[in-house]
Amino acid sequence: MSPRYGRRTLLGDWDRFDALIVIAALALVAFGLALIYSGSSRTYVGPTLSFNNPVAKQAIFAIVGFVAMLIFSRIDYHLLTHYAWFFYGMALLSLVAILVIGHTAFGSTRWFNVGPLQIQPSEFAKLATILALARFFSEHGGDAKELRSLVFSLAVVAPVALLVFIEPDLGTAIVFASIWLGVVIVAGVSRSHLLVMGALFIAVLPFIWTYGVADYQVQRISVLVNPEEDPLDAGYNVIQSQIAVGSGQWFGKGLTKGEQTQLRYLKVPTKDFIFSVLGEELGFTGAMALFALFILLLMRGIRAAQLAGDTAGQLVAVGVVVLILMQTVINIAVNVSLFPVTGIPLPFVSQGGSSLISLFAALGILQSIIMRHRAYRQT
Amino acid sequence: MSIFDDGYRGGSTPSRNRPHSNLLTLRLAVIVLFALLTAKLFDMQIINGNAYAKRSSENHIISTNILPSRGLILARDGTPLVQNVGVYTATITPQFLPKASEARYQIYLKLEKILNVPALQISEMVAQAETDGQDFLELPIKKYLPKNEAIMLDEASTDMPGVSLSVTPGRQYPGGPAFSSILGYVGPQSPEEYAQLKQSGYRINEPIGKTGLESSYESDLRGSVGVDQVEQDAQGDLIQQIQSRDATPGDSIKLSIDPGLQNFISDLLQHSLGEATNAAAVVMNAKTGEIYSMVSIPEFDNNLFSAPEQNAAQLKAMANDPRNPFLNQAVTDSAPGSVFKLITASAGLQEGTITPNTTLSIPNAILYVKDENGNPFPLVDWEAHGTIDLYGAIAESSNIYFDMVSCGILGSSKGLGKDAESSAVTLGYYARAFGLGQPTGIDLDGEASGIVPSPDWKRQHYSGPPYTETDRAWYYGNTCNMGIGQGYDTATPLQIARMTAAVANGGKLLTPHLVTEVDSPDGKVVRTTKVESKQVPVSPANLAIVRRGMHDSVNTKRGAGILAAVPGLDIAGKTGTAEFGPQKKDGTYDQHAWFTGFYPYNDPQFVVTVYFDLGVGGSRAAPTAARIFEYLSKNVKP
Repeated sequence: MSPRYGRRTLLGDWDRFDALIVIAALALVAFGLALIYSGSSRTYVGPTLSFNNPVAKQAIFAIVGFVAMLIFSRIDYHLLTHYAWFFYGMALLSLVAILVIGHTAFGSTRWFNVGPLQIQPSEFAKLATILALARFFSEHGGDAKELRSLVFSLAVVAPVALLVFIEPDLGTAIVFASIWLGVVIVAGVSRSHLLVMGALFIAVLPFIWTYGVADYQVQRISVLVNPEEDPLDAGYNVIQSQIAVGSGQWFGKGLTKGEQTQLRYLKVPTKDFIFSVLGEELGFTGAMALFALFILLLMRGIRAAQLAGDTAGQLVAVGVVVLILMQTVINIAVNVSLFPVTGIPLPFVSQGGSSLISLFAALGILQSIIMRHRAYRQT
Repeated sequence: MSIFDDGYRGGSTPSRNRPHSNLLTLRLAVIVLFALLTAKLFDMQIINGNAYAKRSSENHIISTNILPSRGLILARDGTPLVQNVGVYTATITPQFLPKASEARYQIYLKLEKILNVPALQISEMVAQAETDGQDFLELPIKKYLPKNEAIMLDEASTDMPGVSLSVTPGRQYPGGPAFSSILGYVGPQSPEEYAQLKQSGYRINEPIGKTGLESSYESDLRGSVGVDQVEQDAQGDLIQQIQSRDATPGDSIKLSIDPGLQNFISDLLQHSLGEATNAAAVVMNAKTGEIYSMVSIPEFDNNLFSAPEQNAAQLKAMANDPRNPFLNQAVTDSAPGSVFKLITASAGLQEGTITPNTTLSIPNAILYVKDENGNPFPLVDWEAHGTIDLYGAIAESSNIYFDMVSCGILGSSKGLGKDAESSAVTLGYYARAFGLGQPTGIDLDGEASGIVPSPDWKRQHYSGPPYTETDRAWYYGNTCNMGIGQGYDTATPLQIARMTAAVANGGKLLTPHLVTEVDSPDGKVVRTTKVESKQVPVSPANLAIVRRGMHDSVNTKRGAGILAAVPGLDIAGKTGTAEFGPQKKDGTYDQHAWFTGFYPYNDPQFVVTVYFDLGVGGSRAAPTAARIFEYLSKNVKP
């Protein structure tokens, strides 16, 4: 087979592989493993090498994710955008299915049980939606300047966002909305269109609040304002996470030394509230190190969007960056009481296979975009 | 063809659109969002970090207080005057009750059976606590449980989650009413008291001394609270014992009170009341100021306060009793009458305005003299004494003689000063020197100061409307009255006893005290009360003259205090019959009866002061004092 384009070297395109992204992601995973170890040390008693050990399990998922990333780097992302509508359809179907047969935990239905694994389709739905948006814009003038394409793109995101919203999962619904917003902004949406849409959204917000937001969500929002109002129930997690984070001060109490974590005052300390463990045990300094890694990762992701050879690649990269950014920000915001409690994991850090593997896959897609940017660059 | 090939040639081909370059928004979004999170983190961890760290430790460290047992109070001979007992309270902590209302009601019904508190009432109390957001606090259902109820509840509470029996330290007073005014009682802190005591480490359920020695020796008797600190996890499981410090029992205090004497005088006064409603007696060591007995009539039983709710009716009746049983009569002031003449005599001798041989002829009970304006002024005595010297004046308690000493008789003798005002000031100086007009400093709260009047005092006392300049002015008659313990003079029985001791011991004004020793729980002496005294500015020789007058009072036929005499005992003393209140229809006044004296005459050991609110000193107080001297001589060693 003859090369259609570009230069070839011994390494193939791997010399353009962005190692910094991988290093940042693996450092985050390492952070996560340490915190999961600390957060589970009082609840998990068993052999270190066991699939029941949350640390070992997470490490295995990380390896699987890493391999997935390599595979996705090697795949031309156009293959993915080619099947974007198919993936999107599958995602919609699985989200509907989960509402019917899914497993309910903490008052919300978010995953399937497949043997010992719990699969969260919304993790894959996020990627499918990003691909579908990129595919759509790349075929329709490459931008969002036309009102028609803007409305259509919204129609792509809306059903998925709505389905996760009624799971109910307010946080993920916001992530979807942010992905759409990020993609259309980069795709050059007209400012007036965006303003009109924003105004429309604000106009319907009271109806969403009245009919669309579950009681538990209202309660979670109100306890955020005044957690002491209901200290043993809805406000419990908010208060305990505040105490955990706040008591960490400059340098934290040391890994496995945080009383809030170790004495189980924090609920789900390896998942949604893993940042509180970090705040308590590693302090402000630890949090800043974590932030630095996330910023590095995101900036390299934006670099991928900058480099991207074509619109499709660029918008996929933007979608992935916004996905990681918003999940990170919402998760941390929940932990520091800036956002109501919602079940969003901290990317790369929280315990959970679906999230970790899909995130690594997304990084693979970013690599694919970087590695092929010369080949597809239109001159 | 492999999907891992370098180029993909499927349906979706690279678009021909140039990529957009507007990525600044995205970079800005990353920076702004992380800056926001960093700011919030800085606020929580750095600015408010200490507060959260404190809450974190409060979160998992549970401290339980162990209340100390209160120090004992022992009489002179070591008899315990208090007993520590448990005060039992049935409590409910609503948050630990079962959630189901039926299960709750079962518990309320069981409690009704044991405690006789209606289930409905308990249910209402719990509901109230829950609406008030106090469901995590122990709610008292019934306080001061009798022992049998406490035992029954203790056994039954194991099957009643949320119900518990709380025990706080309490007191019983085996000595009963005779000791109540000295000992006082303990009780729960009022919210105002707690607000103050919190600073000195008091716990809200700690009882405190309310009156008497329980109150004035609170800091010794209290002991220190112990703490049991444990670390527990979110499920309430014990993680580890952090520290525990046992409570230290309070120090015990040893009194100079002789319990036999106290009981004897208590009985004696109650049987000698006559028309009197209130009475008091003080027995004091003439050389050390130790109080051997201090009785206040009527008495109250301080054991009633160990279950105030059950005894509410009785306590209310006592609070409304016009005789005011809660007021310690021994430290409450009233007109001293002729016992004050001991001071007037000392002042005259020391100022040199009289000698023991200064005589005055008192042929009639009324002597008209001229006051400072030349108007006739009657000096009234209780009988025609004939010609008497100072000894006779003290012994017979002549009013006119001591009027002459204090305010003078125009034309024949001058008073203590050059005029009525300066005489009053000089007399006031001696009265104060003998401890009147100020608290004696006894180790008991709530002591009255009494009044030593003076021209300045009167001016201030009658300042402003409705008083006029005439009311404020100091007159010749004021000084005369002052000299015989009438008019504005008031003093407490304890002050009179202290003054008498100073006369008896040659001029040492002692600080009276009830506690001789404070001992630690292991029996070591923490401190002993030192004998404190001030020197009275009267020479021992002059005081000896006054003593001789007092001796004559008890030991001569014409002596006013002759009924205080006990065969075989060498007693000296002075009576007092003080008129007080408004003049009655028959022209007489109500009278307080006083007697103050000491024994033995040659080497005074004991001072006895007796007071009745109604009666005549010579006939009511003096014979009562005689019984006390008799008891002392037989049963009490100094």
